[in-house]
Amino acid sequence: MKKQPSYLAVSVAISAAVAIGATLAASPAFAQSVDTARIEAGGQNDWLTYHGSYKSYHYSPLAQINTGNVANLSVAWIHIPGRSTRGLQSMPLVADGVLYYTGSYSRVFALNGATGEVIWSYFPELDEGLIARQTHSPYNRGVAIGDGKVYVGTMDGRLIALDMKTGKVAWDTKLIDSQKLTVGFTGAPLFAKGTVVIGAQGGEWPGRGPIFGVDAATGKKKWEFLTVAGTDDAMKTWGSDSWRTGGGGGWMPGTYDTDTNTVLWGTANPAPLYDWSGADFKTQGARPGDNLYTSSVIALDVDTGKLKSFHQELPHDAWDFDSAVGEFLMLDRDGQKLVVHPNKSGYIFVYDRNLAVKNVWRITQNSNFVKNIDPKTGELIGRRDFAAGKVEEPLCPHISGGVSWNSGSYNPKTGLYYKLGQEWCMTLDVMKTTPIVAPQAQLNIGANFKIAPPPGGEIYGHLDARDPVTGAKKWEVRFPEPPLASVLSTGGNLVFVPDSRGTVHAYDADSGTELWNHSDGTGHQGGIISYSAGGKQYVAVVAGFGGMASDDYAPTFGGVYKSMPRDDGALIVYSLK
Amino acid sequence: MAAGEPVQTAPRRTSEPMRLTKPDLNLMKTLHVMKLDFLPPAVLAAALTCATPAWAQQPAPSAPDNAPFDAEQLFASTCGWCHSDGGRAAGKGPQLMGTSKSDDFIRERIKNGKPGAMPAFDGALSDAQIDAIIKYIRSLKPQQG
Ligand code: HEC
Repeated sequence: MKKQPSYLAVSVAISAAVAIGATLAASPAFAQSVDTARIEAGGQNDWLTYHGSYKSYHYSPLAQINTGNVANLSVAWIHIPGRSTRGLQSMPLVADGVLYYTGSYSRVFALNGATGEVIWSYFPELDEGLIARQTHSPYNRGVAIGDGKVYVGTMDGRLIALDMKTGKVAWDTKLIDSQKLTVGFTGAPLFAKGTVVIGAQGGEWPGRGPIFGVDAATGKKKWEFLTVAGTDDAMKTWGSDSWRTGGGGGWMPGTYDTDTNTVLWGTANPAPLYDWSGADFKTQGARPGDNLYTSSVIALDVDTGKLKSFHQELPHDAWDFDSAVGEFLMLDRDGQKLVVHPNKSGYIFVYDRNLAVKNVWRITQNSNFVKNIDPKTGELIGRRDFAAGKVEEPLCPHISGGVSWNSGSYNPKTGLYYKLGQEWCMTLDVMKTTPIVAPQAQLNIGANFKIAPPPGGEIYGHLDARDPVTGAKKWEVRFPEPPLASVLSTGGNLVFVPDSRGTVHAYDADSGTELWNHSDGTGHQGGIISYSAGGKQYVAVVAGFGGMASDDYAPTFGGVYKSMPRDDGALIVYSLK
Repeated sequence: MAAGEPVQTAPRRTSEPMRLTKPDLNLMKTLHVMKLDFLPPAVLAAALTCATPAWAQQPAPSAPDNAPFDAEQLFASTCGWCHSDGGRAAGKGPQLMGTSKSDDFIRERIKNGKPGAMPAFDGALSDAQIDAIIKYIRSLKPQQG
């Protein structure tokens, strides 16, 4: 425990904070420039990119809030973004005491990190008619910052750059014809080396799921990589012209490997989600073949978008367990440079930096879409490929996944990876559908289904503390309904979990003992970060429920979910009293 | 966790043998027309034990009345994620089987959706397709006896 600071020290600290606050409000020129080197270093007061830094640990080294005083954590300020249709899902970013985050409809806010005072805001004009036709909309998962600008994607297919100090539009580039394809951007962009990378939605929407590299200075498109049949080799893995409407996409930000100038990205699933091919999926069904590069991790040259290497986690994904999770933990272990990437199925893949498989382990208890995944080769063993008709044994996990698209957290001090797992299954009835050959504004799912408990048990979720490379488990905390939000760990030896009922929990990082909790008043399904402003540590979390996974909670669990709004949300920021 | 205990509402599937109801018998007829011997055993088994997917085995062009066939496919592809079990059970959206809502209400909801809850399908689906879906919703029966 720290000594009480002297009266003098306190007054100095306060006046310094006031001065900084005033400077920020009057002239945000205070902000330093954010560049690739700074994001790589991941300065301890900031949160400069979606995953914290390019290492993607979702970890803050700050220790002012720690196991000894977390009991005194309380709300410092709240911000209400308004119009939070389908809740809030954003990961806030912080640079030099200014917090940047988004609400639904890509509303962008720059707030004084110490007080919550609005420095600027930007509400883009969007094609509302188009948004009304979209299923995975109008939520937004955050911004990227770099080279003096804030970057945000929109549901109507644009990437917009705002001046970091004023919020004025620097450029506004239309990347996708969303009117035609219905999809747009919900995920945060990634800034790396003067390029802004953003991936489109795709999955069950019949398109080719592009990922874009855009010049940060001018807004000009530099490159486009198609996750569906983006190379001649990949084209051969889509029979019957199915590549035309293959789905794919890469709707969560990945990361950047500075050593090799490479962007690492996870890709979404092929369409239709469920195929009626049966075991002959290489030659039969709606999309015969392996369907490259869907449900894969890919390495792209940041300057050209050229594919350098890849691993398809699920060849011919027949279960919608995609690889769109954007988490790529960059580890140094015994002189080896490793990358850890969770697949939606609940299998966690460990790679070297060229995406060669080093290990595979599983976080879920209930899993039967394959018997196993070979930890040496990554090969799927005993896969279940369905023919048309009712599937006898329920499929595990449920379509919402063994893990969420939200991120876990790696704490380099404990060496543990804190990650949520989800235990639920589904009954399934696969339909033989007429092939869709032209992109069209329609979901392409190909089955009827319903959420179901695991065989012989109940639905639940769990926070695991594990070795990220071997998967060895140190402790576990269970939740009656799967938490869907991201996890934060800190240098104060704490792990924060915002749960689905609306409570934020803080656990001892070594033991999993709960040390503090607080209600945010509605369910969580977005980001949580920690930062420092004016010498004080804060924890910021978004609350607000709604969307494809959370909309199942009221009919499945009842209870508090029955009255939980699906069109509301707030950013809640905690500090020590 | 002090707040209300979780309520399990998702029913487990039973493996009881199914009683053959009238639609099932009709399906058996359909399957005979389709030359049972050419169907792979797995598909055949599935078709015989479950009323719904057997429709999917019908070759679309030769089906005399392919409206229900199209509507069921269409429903599974575009609606089924939210209206569980082909519309027979509540999910993200309400149960549609046995709905008391009028055709006009249903047409209006499909066309315009509801912000933040259900997408609008105006433009994506033709009026004829929407009519076929309404017919499909009206024809829904429980899957298990
Ligand atoms: C993203 C989820 C989603 C999809 C996809 C979806 N719906 Fe809905 N649907 C809902 C929700 C949620 C409601 C309830 C809206 C409300 O609050 O009244 C609803 C309501 C309805 C209703 C009105 C039912 C009633 O009793 O009020 C009908 C009819 C309907 N949907 C049909 C369809 C059809 C047909 C499709 C496919 C073309 C479809 N829905 C696709 C989520 C969805």
